[in-house]
Amino acid sequence: MIEIQSLTRVYGDKAVVDDVSFEVRPGRMTGFVGANGAGKTTTMRMIMGVLGPTSGQVLWQGRPLDAETRRSFGYMPEERGLYPRMAVREQLVYFARLHGLDRADASRRADDLLEHFGLVDRSGDQLDDLSLGNQQKVQIAASLIHRPTALVLDEPFSGLDPIAVDAMVDLLRREAKDLPLLFSSHQLDLVERLCDDLVILSAGRVVAAGSVEELRGRGAERYRVVQDGGDAAWLRDLGGVRVLDVDGPTALVELEGLKPQDLVRTVVEHGPVLEVTRDRQPLSEIFREVNR
Amino acid sequence: MSTPDTTSTDRDSTRWWRIVAEREVTTKVREKSFIISTLVMLALVVGSIVLLNAMQGRESTHDVGVVGPQAREVVAAASKTPLAKADNTTLTPKTYDDVAAAKAAVRADTVDAALVVTDDGFELLGDRSVDDAIERSVTAAAASTALQRNAAAQDVDLSELQAGTTTTTTLLDPDAKNADVRKAAAYVLVILFFLVAITFGMPIAQSITQEKESRVVEILAAAVPLRSLLWGKVVGNTLLAIGQVVTLLGVAAAALAATGMGDQLRSIGPALLWYVPFFLLGFGALATLWAVAGALASRQQDLGSTTVPVQMLLMVPYFLYFSGSERVQEIVSMVPVVSMVIMPSRLAEGGVPAWQIGVAVVGTVVAAGLLVQLGARIYERALLRTGNKLGYREALRLQAD
Repeated sequence: MIEIQSLTRVYGDKAVVDDVSFEVRPGRMTGFVGANGAGKTTTMRMIMGVLGPTSGQVLWQGRPLDAETRRSFGYMPEERGLYPRMAVREQLVYFARLHGLDRADASRRADDLLEHFGLVDRSGDQLDDLSLGNQQKVQIAASLIHRPTALVLDEPFSGLDPIAVDAMVDLLRREAKDLPLLFSSHQLDLVERLCDDLVILSAGRVVAAGSVEELRGRGAERYRVVQDGGDAAWLRDLGGVRVLDVDGPTALVELEGLKPQDLVRTVVEHGPVLEVTRDRQPLSEIFREVNR
Repeated sequence: MSTPDTTSTDRDSTRWWRIVAEREVTTKVREKSFIISTLVMLALVVGSIVLLNAMQGRESTHDVGVVGPQAREVVAAASKTPLAKADNTTLTPKTYDDVAAAKAAVRADTVDAALVVTDDGFELLGDRSVDDAIERSVTAAAASTALQRNAAAQDVDLSELQAGTTTTTTLLDPDAKNADVRKAAAYVLVILFFLVAITFGMPIAQSITQEKESRVVEILAAAVPLRSLLWGKVVGNTLLAIGQVVTLLGVAAAALAATGMGDQLRSIGPALLWYVPFFLLGFGALATLWAVAGALASRQQDLGSTTVPVQMLLMVPYFLYFSGSERVQEIVSMVPVVSMVIMPSRLAEGGVPAWQIGVAVVGTVVAAGLLVQLGARIYERALLRTGNKLGYREALRLQAD
């Protein structure tokens, strides 16, 4: 487990990252979201040791993270970076060897990852000659090449088409099944689909952190009611609920004292009903709320 | 402000710089431009040795027109004078019936000069100029021929008359006859240092800037201590440079031996051997400065200005060598770093006291140590700063982070 404790980074008199603490638990994908400039990249760079924190620390399995352990992490920086004029396979082997794999193992590993992304026939090409999407695949392969002990990925899915996203998610599920994995993203639907845990950053501070379930479950309970015809406006007269929206036979209500089973019974007694469902707050709404 | 942890085991740091150095070397030797430039340099070295050889051994023969048997006798004797022998000059007399015919032959360039008899001796005719070698040997031959004839006419023993008049020149340096070759070698060594130091130094800066530009440095920094990265680059490029220098010198030595200039080779051999360690030291001292220049730049275009200090360090000795007096050269050849360029060329010329070599070597070793420390510090601080180009002073003030 990676524990981030009170990380702070000050530039001049501005705290870009301000007392940020959260955990990245093994076997769970942790999504790191926040508006542009919220401090996600700065936090990730401090976790990876390419930027020194002004204060605070990072713990690994309860002890301060040392350089050697840090080097066993897989890292994908926000600004993509590989050697543009070096053959794809050759550079994967190079990174693997820098991480301590012997030449044979490094080659096997590079072939395996290229195979997964269907890039075997491009392995001799210069990185430059690949499409941006394919370059991104090589980049993620480079972060996985040494069988990392944890992953820190800055916007790993940006610029990928849905099929490539699926390929990358498959790979991450296979390679990082039991690892702590932190990734940042702007694509909230993707984060919603993939993440187990969520950390929301705003102006350098953590404004929400926890499991996605917890975060989405917080706040009042909302239900969507769809009648088989008629007008759902009568719900306004019901005690213990607040009607947020009515659109013909459809209404969105928030319970204020009324129990869910009582709502269902009352609605069924009123007339024919098609559905009464719990309306979970989408992540985008939580995101907007905490950024307000 | 805390510093990123860069501690690691010794085994690991060796592993890192070796792999980095290996990449530097294998990438470079596969580059077309590298292969071509190496071949061109080799061709230049071999070509200039062949040319030098051709110029050195060249015999010159001159046709000299003569009128009358006396003139013919003088020209024939001229080829046998010590002067003519030293100049490798042979004179062939061509007889003309009268002075007018001889003059016409000179004007028409069928002969290089003509010797005619006058009332009080001889007259050497040339069209616009007379070759020095002809003039000297003919003058000497004419004088001794006339002297002999006059002595015989007056019944004087010429050898008695000439006793005690000869002056011979003896050169104390046993290797004096190779002075030209040594001077040439001295020039070539200076130029070679300059060329190789630039052609292998610049790529250090370029490859570091390229890593900054392509942002790959971020991944490298997360995988490898920055110092190992620096050492790998310095070692890799130094190996390439020294490899090229040794190859060039080896080919030059082989070419000298093959063209029958083994004697000259023996004369400059020690200087060539000295050159390798001097080059290694000098290049090594400058290598971290090239790395710093690369780390300060944020784009390739910035290298023009960030490499100025190290280029100056190379240029200054170059100009001092070619414009400075011998005294200046002597002093400069002991100044740290700069000495690595000038000292080998002074060695090629010969006559350098051992203590001066010692001062040059020790000074440079110390300077190299300091430059490497300073360079590594700036490199580590500047490498992960992207965005704007950094100045040297600015980089020195940077906090580590």
